[in-house]
Amino acid sequence: MKPSQNCVFVVEDDPSMRIALKNLLKSVGLESELFASAQEFLEADRPDVPSCLILDVRLPGLSGLDLQRELSAANIHIPIIFITAHGDIPMSVRAMKAGAVEFLTKPFRDQDLLDAIQVALAQDRVRRQKESELAELQRRLQSLTARERELLPLVISGRSNKEIAAEIGTSEVTVKVHRGNLMRKMEAASFADLLRMAADLKIPYTKV
Amino acid sequence: MRISQSPAFRYGIALAFVGAALGLSLLIQRSLPDGFLILFLSAVMLAGWFGRTGAGLFAVVVSTILVDYYFIPPYRAFFVELEQVPYFLSFLLSAVVTSWLGSARRSAEEKQRAHLDELFEQSPEAILLVDLHDRVIRVNKEFTHIFGYAMDEMVNRPSSELIVPAQMQAEALNAREKLARGEDVNVETVRKRKDGSQVNVSEVAFPVVVDGKSIGYYMIFRDITESKRAHDRLQKAQAELAHLSRITTMGELAASIAHEINQPIGAIVTNGNAAVRWLGQQPPYLEGAGEALDCIVRDANRAAQVIGRIRSLLRKNPTPIVQVDINEIIREVLLLTSYETNRRQIAVMTELDSDLPSIPGDRVQLQQVMLNLIMNSLDAMTAITDRTRQLRIKSSRNPDCVLIQVADTGHGWEPQHSNSIFDPFFTTKKDGIGMGLTISRSIIEAHGGRLWAERGTPHGAILKFSLPISAKAE
Repeated sequence: MKPSQNCVFVVEDDPSMRIALKNLLKSVGLESELFASAQEFLEADRPDVPSCLILDVRLPGLSGLDLQRELSAANIHIPIIFITAHGDIPMSVRAMKAGAVEFLTKPFRDQDLLDAIQVALAQDRVRRQKESELAELQRRLQSLTARERELLPLVISGRSNKEIAAEIGTSEVTVKVHRGNLMRKMEAASFADLLRMAADLKIPYTKV
Repeated sequence: MRISQSPAFRYGIALAFVGAALGLSLLIQRSLPDGFLILFLSAVMLAGWFGRTGAGLFAVVVSTILVDYYFIPPYRAFFVELEQVPYFLSFLLSAVVTSWLGSARRSAEEKQRAHLDELFEQSPEAILLVDLHDRVIRVNKEFTHIFGYAMDEMVNRPSSELIVPAQMQAEALNAREKLARGEDVNVETVRKRKDGSQVNVSEVAFPVVVDGKSIGYYMIFRDITESKRAHDRLQKAQAELAHLSRITTMGELAASIAHEINQPIGAIVTNGNAAVRWLGQQPPYLEGAGEALDCIVRDANRAAQVIGRIRSLLRKNPTPIVQVDINEIIREVLLLTSYETNRRQIAVMTELDSDLPSIPGDRVQLQQVMLNLIMNSLDAMTAITDRTRQLRIKSSRNPDCVLIQVADTGHGWEPQHSNSIFDPFFTTKKDGIGMGLTISRSIIEAHGGRLWAERGTPHGAILKFSLPISAKAE
């Protein structure tokens, strides 16, 4: 892992703490970007690299928990590590339930934070990987013709060409051609491969 | 002038007046035959006034005999012609009436004087009469009680030497100059007794004016040791109450305070860790470590300041009156309550006049007032959900005072409670003790200012207080 390929965002209203976090991250070779409020973070252009967010719970205006909810509503799945000067249990439960990686109380052990950051960045890398794979599958799916897309659920339901031909009212030969195109366009190496893709794309089976 | 009361003097003076009247009458008889009438009546009147009833009647008798002898025909004889009897009798009657008038007037004056003397002597306040050169003319009984001097020990000695302690001489001199200008003096001060002990007095002094000219000064003293002691006790009790209320408020702010201290400590720990890592690298990254250490020093100072602020608020003893910047006090208290405003999602708006002059005041007490007003506003807004929760703080300058306003959009109070919100134990809070505004008002008034409240429109409350720019009025 090369450090510059990651970015740690820090949203913290206390300037001392903000600088301290920047120093700590820098001392282990992590790049960071600092924000004083949730709004500032939302308005900023964020680099498209694996990243995570260190978020103070109490913030003026939009609180840390509010920001977590907003990001989730906007389908932005950046891993979040909460820090707070006064941990209270209900708040940390809420944060963790909403998918936070870690909930640390100031003053925290630096190693705890750094470990959490590594977990969060790894999580984000995996997520990003999955997202880009899914995007690729989506692209392949978009390249199918209407007929081929109609065929897909029937194919993955395990029906024979004959059965499919009967169902959509065409010849077995035509189905065979479509099926070949489908496998090629989806870049599926095998039927099992196609099944995995369909699962990722959440394409439902068709019942017999 | 005092007149001897001996009978010899009184009858003697009656005789002297009548004799003088006779002499003058004989002198003017030739040119003014009836002139003796007015002269003898005057003599009778004067005899009655100076010698009172007895001497007056004595003068009447002597005059009647002399008038008969010298001025009623037949002259130089002690009897009266028949046709002269009405004239003689009318003189007699006039003389009797005149004598009675003179003595009655005199006795009325004496009674009045006796009353005034009695008043002077029996007054519950100590009275000192001095001449223009501060020499004691007279003192009353209460004066001798308070100051321990006997009347005759003081007469003709300068009063300021006797009763003004050394440290008050300048003030006394100043008062004397005021008196010399014809002005009254009204002060609370310290005087000394004969035994050298000091006594707290209120002093009223004014010139004694006769015919438009001062002839001396009256000084009236009241011993206020007891009332001053009571006042001091009251002040001490108020200070203790204020202290307790500060402790209570600080208790409510415990989370806020913990937050305020925890922030810099968290930053210190984090920077410390960064420095340790940089120093542990091969080669050590000294520049980064240095920067982190600078941050640590700054944050540690900040934590110390927070603790210092809180300790000063919890200090029991009154702090000295110094020139304070009221905007700074507002900002400090807002810092202390920032966690609370944040937690309760209250928007804080300040409009502080940057040209505000500093004012003389007790820093801790004024912080307490701001803290009380702000906490009240926060508490009044906590349950509000149908409108924005907004705390607005404004400072501005008036010609002779600074004006501070604390406005909120909270629940305010019922119109019928407008008069009671400053009463002790009045509260709109579920768990309030109702002393905050009472204490705040007494603090502001002790600073010579005023604290009052207005209902906000359409809702909420506006608390305002003014503080005089010059020294406090009390």
